Amino acid sequence: MAETQTISAVQEAVVGALGVSEDEAAPDATLMDDLGAESIDLLDILFRIERSTGVKIQASDLSEYMQGGIPDDEFSDENEIISEKGLEQLKKVMPQINEDELRGTLHAENVIKLFTVQNLADMVEQRGGSAGS
Amino acid sequence: MKLEGKCALVTGASRGIGRACALALAAEGAAVAVNYRSGKAQADEVVNEIESNGGKAVSVEGDVSEYEAAERIVAESVEKLGGLHILVNNAGISRDALIFNMEPTDWLDVMRVNFGGVFNCTKAALQQFMSQREGTIVNISSMMGLRGWTGESNYAASKGAINAFTRCAAVELARFGIRVNAALPGFAPTDLVQGLLEKDGGKGILKQIPMRTFASVEEVAGVVRFLAGPDSSYMTGALVEVDGGVGTMLGVGAPL
Repeated sequence: MAETQTISAVQEAVVGALGVSEDEAAPDATLMDDLGAESIDLLDILFRIERSTGVKIQASDLSEYMQGGIPDDEFSDENEIISEKGLEQLKKVMPQINEDELRGTLHAENVIKLFTVQNLADMVEQRGGSAGS
Repeated sequence: MKLEGKCALVTGASRGIGRACALALAAEGAAVAVNYRSGKAQADEVVNEIESNGGKAVSVEGDVSEYEAAERIVAESVEKLGGLHILVNNAGISRDALIFNMEPTDWLDVMRVNFGGVFNCTKAALQQFMSQREGTIVNISSMMGLRGWTGESNYAASKGAINAFTRCAAVELARFGIRVNAALPGFAPTDLVQGLLEKDGGKGILKQIPMRTFASVEEVAGVVRFLAGPDSSYMTGALVEVDGGVGTMLGVGAPL
């Protein structure tokens, strides 16, 4: 599937699930903070994406994807603040983040709040691989 | 036929209301999975009856009170029927007793089958229903879930739980194209309520029912078929009373 098709499929799912306008569902909008998605909304978005693209993503896959296989104790410290190694990984899947601003302050439970419409489209693209094309 | 091309799973369908639901859905064109726990011969009879009427049906064994079994029942139904669009959560038991005499296992067993079965099968069907953004769930509750009756505390509590679950599931699942409703029979003379009718053939109960008749299982199944099909497309979270008017009265509706 072409990347432009993927981003529009994700935007369409976001618009449908959240009832926001197409302009609001911009690629750089964060799903939770900007668009107010709750867990049930994420579930709805993921099922809509599955239906339109055939790419199946479970809600639990999101954090796994962001963490990139790094063990919990290396991804964040004992206070659950994301480590340097963790930030490097997050930068790979969320290139828009400013790691200097987040260094030493980003709590593990807030990572998902940085996830944007574009980041989700990238994930769909990666998960779909050739299967979606 | 309004359910042509649809596939339905009815739990506890070897007898009583479940059996009538399986037959009613099949008569409307649905392919039906007839679930049973112990009544294989009776379930096979239901399947034969549907097939001899030109319909499609399969029997599926399993105890809905176990989540793993519920998952298997749903998977088997999908596989054998080629899909699933309708789930009728009917399987139920009763262990009537006064609270004073009731054993802890009496309420737990009833809760595990009646409410647990609804929870387990609903959850097990969601992946299928949510992926296809289509599904109707009809829970067989009871008027006992709304009102009190001597000796029915455990059964009534399990049905009250089903009512609450029906509402919550309806709210959560509406956006996924899934409707969840419940039918609440009053008194239908099935094996399950035999104890209630023992005393005087049920005369003492009949006098309290405005329509002066018990519900036939077909009358309950007719409402279930409506809730499962396209005619109720804008209904969800409804608790539909099928009770001959018994729940509508204050007391017995007149001086005794």
